[in-house]
Amino acid sequence: MRRDRKHGMVHDRFLVIAMLAALLSPLGAVPAAAKPVADAPMPEVTDAFLAEGEEIYYRRCSFCHGLLGDGEGPAAKYLDPRPRDFTLGTFKFRTTQSGELPQDSDLFRTVSRGLPGTGMQAFDGDLIKNGLDERQRWAVIAYIKTFAPEFEDEELDPVKTGKVVALPANRPAFSPELVAKGKEIFLRAKCWECHGKEGRGNGQKSFDRKDDWGFPIRIRNVTHPWKIKGGSEAEDIYMRFSTGISGTPMPSFVKALNEDERWALANFIKSLQHKLTEHQVLAVLPVDGEVPGTPDDGVWEQAQPMDVRLAGQVVAPPRWQNPSIEMVTLKAVANDREIAIRISWDDPFKDASHDEDQELNASELTKVGIFNSYVEANDQVPRALETFRDSIALQFSAKPISGSEKPHFLRGSSSAAVQLWHWMADREEAGERSVVEAVARGWRQPPKAQADDQQGVEGKAVWADGRWTVVMKRALTTEDKNDVQFVPGKFIPLAVNAWDGSNGEHGRIMSLSTWYYVFIVAPTPVSVYIYVVASILIMGGFGLWLVRVARNSQVGTGASTNA
Amino acid sequence: MGMLRIGRFWSVIITFVLLYALIKWGIPAVSREVTDLPFPLPVPGTLIFFYMVLVTIALFLITTFSDEGMEEFVRPIRKLLRGEYSKTARAAVLIVVPLLAGWQVYDLTVPKIELPSSLRIQHPSSNFPKKFEELKNPFANPGEAEVTAFIEQAEAEEIAWIEQVQEDIERWQEEGDADNPLAFIPTAPWKKFLAELEDGDVKLATAKAALLEKNLFEGRALYAMNCRPCHGDSVAGDGPMADGFKLRPINFTDNGTIETIVEGYTFWRVRNGGPGLPTEATPWDSAMPEWKVSLTEEERWKIILAEYDLAEKTPRIPESH
Repeated sequence: MRRDRKHGMVHDRFLVIAMLAALLSPLGAVPAAAKPVADAPMPEVTDAFLAEGEEIYYRRCSFCHGLLGDGEGPAAKYLDPRPRDFTLGTFKFRTTQSGELPQDSDLFRTVSRGLPGTGMQAFDGDLIKNGLDERQRWAVIAYIKTFAPEFEDEELDPVKTGKVVALPANRPAFSPELVAKGKEIFLRAKCWECHGKEGRGNGQKSFDRKDDWGFPIRIRNVTHPWKIKGGSEAEDIYMRFSTGISGTPMPSFVKALNEDERWALANFIKSLQHKLTEHQVLAVLPVDGEVPGTPDDGVWEQAQPMDVRLAGQVVAPPRWQNPSIEMVTLKAVANDREIAIRISWDDPFKDASHDEDQELNASELTKVGIFNSYVEANDQVPRALETFRDSIALQFSAKPISGSEKPHFLRGSSSAAVQLWHWMADREEAGERSVVEAVARGWRQPPKAQADDQQGVEGKAVWADGRWTVVMKRALTTEDKNDVQFVPGKFIPLAVNAWDGSNGEHGRIMSLSTWYYVFIVAPTPVSVYIYVVASILIMGGFGLWLVRVARNSQVGTGASTNA
Repeated sequence: MGMLRIGRFWSVIITFVLLYALIKWGIPAVSREVTDLPFPLPVPGTLIFFYMVLVTIALFLITTFSDEGMEEFVRPIRKLLRGEYSKTARAAVLIVVPLLAGWQVYDLTVPKIELPSSLRIQHPSSNFPKKFEELKNPFANPGEAEVTAFIEQAEAEEIAWIEQVQEDIERWQEEGDADNPLAFIPTAPWKKFLAELEDGDVKLATAKAALLEKNLFEGRALYAMNCRPCHGDSVAGDGPMADGFKLRPINFTDNGTIETIVEGYTFWRVRNGGPGLPTEATPWDSAMPEWKVSLTEEERWKIILAEYDLAEKTPRIPESH
C-alpha cells in the first residue's frame, strides 16, 4: 500500500516536471531582434558580388526604382513620396553632414528597416521571412551605388573626408526637464514655422513646398510616429536636424544649435508622438443633462477616446494609396434621448470649398484591363488648396445586425445597406446643414442622400491648429427605416471615411477604416444583484451544513461517503 | 528518497491547476512554435470547459477508486471543517468561497463592453465553385506552340511585353549602356537564352525557362502595382496600407496559407475577393478586392505566378477525381 503510493508520487512528480517543461520551453524562444546595424562592414566589391546585387535589385527593387535606378519603375508614379532616384546620389536619411553622400551603414539601415509611411518597406531577413540576409543587403547596396558616379569619387567619401555626424557623447535619458528644454529650442529655432506649434505639419510656410525633383512635399506631422520616415526614436530624430534632409527644405541645424540642444529638441519631438489606443468598442459616456452640440464642450474631457486607423481606399477603383488622414479619434456622449459623436483628426490645411468640375471621372478607371486602377500621385488629380472640400463620414449598418454579420465595410452591398453621416466643410462654412444623411448599397453607386424631412443629424465643427474637430448629434432612435438606431446594450458597427481636400481627395479617392463598434451600456438589471446575493447565501449555507456534517461524523470512512 | 510528501488532496488540486494552465496557455504557446505564426492560437472557451470536465471526471474516478484513496482525499477537508487546523482558517474559507462564487456569478451575468467574438474560417470551401478547382495557371507551364512563338518573337526582336512594363524597358534600352537590348533580366535562365539566341540555336527547354522568366517579370510588376500596397514587397502581409485594416492582409510566407490551396482556389479568391466569400469567412471585414472588375484573366494569372515565386511556395496539386 505504502509502496504503491510512493510509486504514484514519483509519477506525479514526473508529470509536474514534464508539464512545467512544456509550459516554459516556448517562452524561452525569443524572436530574432531587428538588426538595422550590420554585423560586419560591406564585403569587398567584386564583379561577382555586383552581379549578385544586380539580380536582387532586379527582383526586389526595380519595379519601383526602375531598371535604370532612376526611380521610374512601373509602380512609381502611383506613390507619394516617389521612390528614390539613385542616379543623383542624393539621399535623405544619412548620418553625414548636409548635402554629403551617405555612409554605407546609412543605406544599410534604410534597406533593413525601410522608411515608415512610404512604399519603402523593411527588407531585414531577420524580421521578414522573405527579406534579405545581411550579405544580400550589402550586395544590393553595392549595386545601387553603381547608379551614381559620385560614389566612385574618393574626395566625396564622407568617412575619408571626416563629414560624419556622430550622436552626442552625453545623451541624458528622456525626462520632463529635457522635454521642457527641447520645447524652448523648438520655439527659438522656429521649427514651428513649418511644422506648426503642435507639430502637426501646419506651419504658415508649409504648403506647396517642392523637393529637388519638383515633386510636392508635405511637412511632416511629427506626432504620428508610424509616418516618421527616418525612424521615430530620439537618436533618429536627432540625426534628421543634425544632417538635414537632402533634396528637401529641411535644413541642418548643426551650426545653429549645439549637441545638447539638439538632443533636448529630439526628446521634445519624441514627447509629441501619439500613442494609439487599442480597443475597438467606442464606449458612450452616459450623461443626465444635455448632450454636447459643440466640439469644445467640457463634457468631452470625460469621454473615453478611441483611435481608428485608416488606410487608403484600395478596395475598389479608383484606388488611392496616398491617404492624408491615417487616424481619427472618436468620442461619444449620450443621454436617454440623444447621442453625440465627436471626431477629430489632424489636417494641416482647412479646405472649405469644392469644385466638382475638377473631380476625376471615376468611370475611366473602373474598367477591366485598365492600365492601372490606382490614381496617380501627382498628375491625375489636383492636390492644391481651394479645390476639394475636407470631409468626414461615419458609416453605420442601416439595419440592426444579427450575430456578427454586417454589411461590407466599403459602403455595404445591394443586399446590405449602410447609412452615412457625411459632414462637409464647405457646407459648414456656408452655414448650411453641414451633415447629410445618405444611404449606400455598395461602392458602385454614390451614396444617395435621404429625403429632406429625414435629415436629423446636426453637425458643428471647428478647425484650429491643424486639426478638425466635428460633432454630429442625433436622436438615439428615429422612425426612418434607413436610419441607424442606437439601442443600449447592442453593438452598433461603425466605420469611418475621410477626405483631405488639398490632398486631392474626393469620391472614392479617400481613406477609410474597417468596422469598429459603438456601445451604449444598458443599466445593470436588478436580477444580476439578486443572483449574486442568492449565490453567496447558498454557498455560505452549504459551507455551514458541511461543517455540521463534519462535526457530527466521528468515524472517518462513514463521513466521507455521507459528504 | 527524501522528497516532500504532498497528500492526495493537494496532488488532485495541483494536477487540476496544471492541466488547466497547460490547456489555457501551454497549447497556444506550443501552437506558435508549430505554426510559425506571429500570434498564438488560443483554445476556445467551450473546448477548455469540455477538457476540464473530462479532467474533473478522471480525477474523481482516481480519487474514489478505493476507500483509502477517498479517505485520504477527504481527510484535510474534514480537518479544516472541524476547525482542527485553526478556527480562523475555517472562518476565512467559509467566507471567501461564497464571496468568490458571488463574484463569479456577477462576472457572468453583468452586461459588459466586450467585442462580440466572431470565428473566422480562413479558407472556406462552401461556395468555392467546382469549375475553378481544376484550373491550372497557363503561364506556369507554357505549351510547345507558345514556346515556339516566343522564340520567333525573340529572333525578330519583337517580344510582346505587357503595356505596364514597356516604358521602363524602353528607357533602359535607350539610356542604358548594355549591348544586348534584352539583357535587363539578369537571371541565369534568361542569360542562357540570350546566349543561345545569339548563337542562333535556341533549345526548346531553354526558351521555355526564359518564357517563364518573362511571365515572372511581368507578374512581379503587376504585383508591385496592384497588390504590394497591402500584401507588401516581401509578400508578408505588411504593405503600407496594412495597418489600416483590422483584418490584416494575408502573409503569404506563413505556413498554411497559399501552399495549402490549389491554384484554382487562389484564382477564385483574386477574382471574387472579399465579397465572394461565404458568411463563415466574414466577407464584410475582408479588404480583398474583386479583381475581376479591374484586372484581366491574364494579369491575374501572372500575378499569382509571381506571388508564389516571391513567397517561395508551390500551390497544392488538385486531387484527381
